[in-house]
Amino acid sequence: MEAMEIDSQKIHQRKQSTYLSFDESFEIQKETYTGQQYSQIYFARLYKMRTLLYSLVPNWKPRLTVCTVLGLEQGKECIIVGTLYKHMKLKPCILDEYSKERSSAPLVKAHNFVHPDDCLILEDESGRVKLGGTKLSPLLYVTGVVVALHGRETSAGEFFVEDVLEAGLPPQIELPLELREDKYVVFVSGLSVGSTASNPLQFQLFVDHITGHLGDDEEQNIAAQIVHVVIAGNSVEIPHGLLNGQNLASKDQSSLSDPIKELDLLLTQIASGLPLDIMPGSNDPANFSLPQQPLHRCLLPGSAAYNTFRSCTNPHCFELDNIRFLGTSGQNIDDLAKYSEGKDSLDFMERTLRWAHVAPTTPNTLGCYPFSDRDPFVIESCPHVYFVGNQEKYETRLLKGSNGQLVRLICIPKFCQTGVAVVLNMRNLECHTLTFGTQFS
Amino acid sequence: MKVTPEDARKLNLPPECVNKTPSGETFVKSNLQKGILPEILEELIAARKRAKADLKASTLIALLPSEFPDNRLYCYVQEAKDPLEKAVLDGRQLALKISANSVYGFTGATVGQLPCIEISSSVTSYGRQMIEHTKKLVEDKFTTVGGYEHTAEVIYGDTDSVMVQFGVSNVETAMNLGREAAEYISGTFTKPIKLEFEKVYYPYLLISKKRYAGLLWTNSQKFDKMDTKGIETVRRDNCLLVKNLVNDCLHKILINRDIPGAVQYVKNTISDLLMNRMDLSLLVITKGLTKTGDDYEVKAAHVELAERMRKRDAATAPNVGDRVPYVIVKAAKGAKAYEKSEDPIYVLENNIPIDPNYYLENQISKPLLRIFEPILKNAEKELLKGSHTRSISISTPSNSGIMKFAKKQLSCIGCKALLSDADKTLCSHCKGREAELYCKTVSQVSDLEELFGRLWTQCQECQGSLHQDVLCTSRDCPIFYRRKKAQKDMAEAKRQLGRWNF
Repeated sequence: MEAMEIDSQKIHQRKQSTYLSFDESFEIQKETYTGQQYSQIYFARLYKMRTLLYSLVPNWKPRLTVCTVLGLEQGKECIIVGTLYKHMKLKPCILDEYSKERSSAPLVKAHNFVHPDDCLILEDESGRVKLGGTKLSPLLYVTGVVVALHGRETSAGEFFVEDVLEAGLPPQIELPLELREDKYVVFVSGLSVGSTASNPLQFQLFVDHITGHLGDDEEQNIAAQIVHVVIAGNSVEIPHGLLNGQNLASKDQSSLSDPIKELDLLLTQIASGLPLDIMPGSNDPANFSLPQQPLHRCLLPGSAAYNTFRSCTNPHCFELDNIRFLGTSGQNIDDLAKYSEGKDSLDFMERTLRWAHVAPTTPNTLGCYPFSDRDPFVIESCPHVYFVGNQEKYETRLLKGSNGQLVRLICIPKFCQTGVAVVLNMRNLECHTLTFGTQFS
Repeated sequence: MKVTPEDARKLNLPPECVNKTPSGETFVKSNLQKGILPEILEELIAARKRAKADLKASTLIALLPSEFPDNRLYCYVQEAKDPLEKAVLDGRQLALKISANSVYGFTGATVGQLPCIEISSSVTSYGRQMIEHTKKLVEDKFTTVGGYEHTAEVIYGDTDSVMVQFGVSNVETAMNLGREAAEYISGTFTKPIKLEFEKVYYPYLLISKKRYAGLLWTNSQKFDKMDTKGIETVRRDNCLLVKNLVNDCLHKILINRDIPGAVQYVKNTISDLLMNRMDLSLLVITKGLTKTGDDYEVKAAHVELAERMRKRDAATAPNVGDRVPYVIVKAAKGAKAYEKSEDPIYVLENNIPIDPNYYLENQISKPLLRIFEPILKNAEKELLKGSHTRSISISTPSNSGIMKFAKKQLSCIGCKALLSDADKTLCSHCKGREAELYCKTVSQVSDLEELFGRLWTQCQECQGSLHQDVLCTSRDCPIFYRRKKAQKDMAEAKRQLGRWNF
């Protein structure tokens, strides 16, 4: 685990930290597709979140009673708890493939499906009711969020919403105080090795920098304080046209595996120096639906030989020196950006924390495994660091919860486009970036 | 351009007493004895008038002042917003129109309720006479000799319409010529009969009598739609594949003007069919079960299947009145067509191979050749017998025949060679290709997962509930079988992926 630099008679010893993985809940081991459907995951989510919301209701609106959707009475003020469903006009639908006028309808812009006519519906296992009123904006919410609503049923059969209660930030384990030295964690995403946009030299510079092969004594000293590297998805780009089920010519076989071999070489260099977590992303050779399972060892035989190398799930949850990290490769936030509106990616990230759910749009618009007994995406313990990969630009913010929770939100940009890696100081949860560029003259 | 049978009434056709009709029949005049048909017709036309008035009124609802106690005159006028009501009323007046137009028609059916062949032949003979008349006038007037750009030609006429080829190259001039011709000819008819200009077809594919397709234009800027008559069979006892294929081909030929593209599309589809890559829901044929098996005189595929399904599980078997969906599967050589039908769900669950040749020969070949024969040389040879028909893949059934006795052994994911007991995934030759082969397996899983998610969430959306299992068993839904298949394929792909866990 140590990388020693014997450069100017000085030895830098790499710092270490204790690592604990919490990925079990995202792992799919024995579960298979035996005809289960998505209703069970919604039910598990509703059940869990409702227990939480019921415990909050007495403090929120002490005088009101809690009803089911079926038990609503017209004009009577009450509280209902259920899963939101957003009816969307522009949402793409698989039945469109079968519609008569297949080619005549103009394709919707791919980046956002929000329409002013969208409306929200609240559903529990007893029934569903359409929501009215201006308090709950359809622009901000998406299908799959569990909320408690205060309001009453109108004569038109709608539920007029007067107030909304979200689950809020989950409880957080206490931030360890004894940490009095700088320790850094490096995040990078969107390496896209093998794509036309990626620059091998840029990535090599990054590798050399964090392993301490670049720079003067001082820089090497900082590099030695890096205790962990996280690669948050989209590490390779495989020409997708080759994967059509046909047998490949030997030329194509190599173009398929070359990017992976190249990635393996570079990762081996990192893994030989310091602990490395790699998460699968939407373009990686991994399954599609969340939680994505770890990249297979046979893809990266070189780096997999090191015990510092960990292939992780997406979403990924771990603890370093009792600081809790939670992150995804970006699919959850990208999907929220398609089906709701927000100022920036941090906005969406903050919402997922407030809803206590990493990916509320699963399974509706974001693919997920049909779990039958649990919803692994419910956040039960608030992380200290919440990161999302493959975003357009670097953004960060410190989020304070109502019960003293403190969360560092990080958007990691795509490395192949920006050359930016994000560095987090575990001592004070401060963030800065490392930018790598190459110039030929 | 129409000479509708409605005009028959205006002419007082059935009671034409003195004059013989062009087909040589004579009829009594209405002042002597009024016929039954004119009475029916008058009723229908009056009813349509009322229905049309209702349709107009449905957009304006007036509350009568008497509903208000204080005798002040309130008059609320509001728009009826319900489009459903409008559609119903519009449908009603259209139904009445069709009924009126077809009153004479049933007299021509010799086994019908009121057979009187003289009436129908008289009506059509009037129509024919007018078409002949029109044809003569058009072809005499619109000639290069008469100062027009091209000589017009009447290419097709049917009961109440004629199609004229004016020979001009753009839609607008064709329209003007059409209007001019309509006006000119209407002037020569007896008063209530009118010839109307209706539409321009450009391009126009005339296949045979009563079968044609074309792009329909009613204004000169943009075509309205693709109009087909008698080709694209909307009958439910054809499988969806036929309908889609014909539709897409016509789309490519008429709108994109891309005949090679259409040919390629047909070839790809046929290849998909032979390679067993076809979505099963496209191959399902449905027929209504009207009586039980013993009452049918000849053995029919769907009846036999219903019988067989009853033996398997009486609870889920179709009953009289249900529509029976089935696919044609491979059977022993020389098996009768009715023995080859099988329940689509059963086929999916047991990997029973479908019979691609049945679909090729009995379903898609005729409609396709009908379209392509006028525009392609050697259409049959080109479309149905090319190199794309040579590679064939047939799935092996999992529950029947000799497979029950077969010993199963794993084969290498890379090269399909049988594996020895020690290896689980790859043979020793393919060991070096692990990364590439894993990518392929995992990309299949990933594609299926995406499909699985989209299909099942769509069904949740349709049924309007997130917390209940999808129960829908509508076999008419285009994704019903696909949803089932996705679930099954997913389990299989997952198992394949599981073999990589070493």
